[in-house]
Amino acid sequence: MEVKHSSSSPSSFIDQLVVPGDVILDLSSMSNQTIKLGGGLRQDGDSISVMKAGQLRFTKPNKYWVESSHKRYVPSAGDNVLGVVVDTKPENFLVDIKGPALAFLPVLAFEGGTRRNIPKFEVGTLLYVRVVNANTGMNPELSCMDANGKAGEYGVLKEGYMFESSTGLSRTLLSSPPCPVLEALGKKLSFEIAVGINGRFWVNASQPSTVILVGNAIQKSESLSVVQQKIYLEKLLKSIQ
Amino acid sequence: MEVDRADGRTPNQRRPVVCTRGILHRAHGSASWAQGDTKVIAAVYGPKSGTRKNENPEKACIEVIWKPKTGQSGKPEREYEMVMKKTLQSICLLNVHPNTTTSIIIQVVNDDGALLPCAINAACAALVDAGTPLKHLAVAVCCCMSENGQILLDPSKIEEQKVKAFVYLVFPNSIASVLPEGSLRPGGEVTELGILTSVTHGVMAVDDYFSCLKLGRPAAAELSDFLRNSLKLKAGSDPSKAG
Repeated sequence: MEVKHSSSSPSSFIDQLVVPGDVILDLSSMSNQTIKLGGGLRQDGDSISVMKAGQLRFTKPNKYWVESSHKRYVPSAGDNVLGVVVDTKPENFLVDIKGPALAFLPVLAFEGGTRRNIPKFEVGTLLYVRVVNANTGMNPELSCMDANGKAGEYGVLKEGYMFESSTGLSRTLLSSPPCPVLEALGKKLSFEIAVGINGRFWVNASQPSTVILVGNAIQKSESLSVVQQKIYLEKLLKSIQ
Repeated sequence: MEVDRADGRTPNQRRPVVCTRGILHRAHGSASWAQGDTKVIAAVYGPKSGTRKNENPEKACIEVIWKPKTGQSGKPEREYEMVMKKTLQSICLLNVHPNTTTSIIIQVVNDDGALLPCAINAACAALVDAGTPLKHLAVAVCCCMSENGQILLDPSKIEEQKVKAFVYLVFPNSIASVLPEGSLRPGGEVTELGILTSVTHGVMAVDDYFSCLKLGRPAAAELSDFLRNSLKLKAGSDPSKAG
């Protein structure tokens, strides 16, 4: 087994594929600097090494992370996710957010929530929620209010249909400027969509056929390149005229 | 004195490897690994909350289920499960998601020699596909010693049954590093020369064992490069092949 050594600058790995075990930063050569590590990286003594395979990304001044797309989600505070209620307890709703552990949604975490008007969620209810905190070893905590205590768009998603995707597709759907799929579909069809960063998205429209069309088009676009997406969407939208 | 292998390979030549990731729709991570005619599919589910009964809840738990091609699971399958569990536990980071279980299911599609190394390679690719946090990857090879004392790499089933002894070796992968040449890890050991697992069958002399190690390391380095290249392709798209 060999070790390939590159020049001492960490920029040689940026925007490249890194594999678990790769050492991307040597902290002993940079003192008095704060480095922020995102997902997929860990500190091993004086070096930063990779935990997950993916593209290494860097934004100035000091943020490093590994970008990868998977079917499961690693909860982190501040994310907006789509959760499904799996159980109700006196203090919390237990919500599945595709992470390693079930998340807790306190029964009072709703705008104007008091002990007297606790919402009644059945098992299987789809919710758009915000992750409040997600510490290692603890169940993540959710809320249906934003940081100011207003409901905003959080809460139950009625009707429509939820589709599963990967975390990478969710990030593409949430990127700004809007991704080509959503733009093209939005020009011809009218529908409502909610995207959770945890690899789920929900679509609602007046006709079930529109919901199916939008959902399938988005799921299919994940495996196509930008040019292929344009061709596919042109053909699709022409055929529904 | 060269031994003629049945399929015309030189003693130092591996069979062609094909690796495909993301093949199973419902599994969180999956990969198939074929070395010649030996083919194994690995599926990873997890992390899921809760650990098995006697496991430490402060760490993640790894569980391996081995499904043979035909027949019921018996003692040989238990042994494979145990070896794989220990190997995979040493490459996974167990403190990132405490109190969770990651299940790895191995399905043997065809057995034509070097089955356990093929399974370990498949499981490692599936763990990468699932996004499980890993310290580094594991690369497995098989070396055997024939009656006339020659060491052969990657034996087929017929060769495995004829030889005096064979050994499965698992090495950590080749890593790309920004650290200067020859630097030591905090523990004082140079991990580049490490070995994760070694399973031997039969009787061989110590010198022969070291010769197997010498033959296995460069082969593992090649497999490690192949694995790195195959990770560049998107999951579920064209399978990557190597010589």
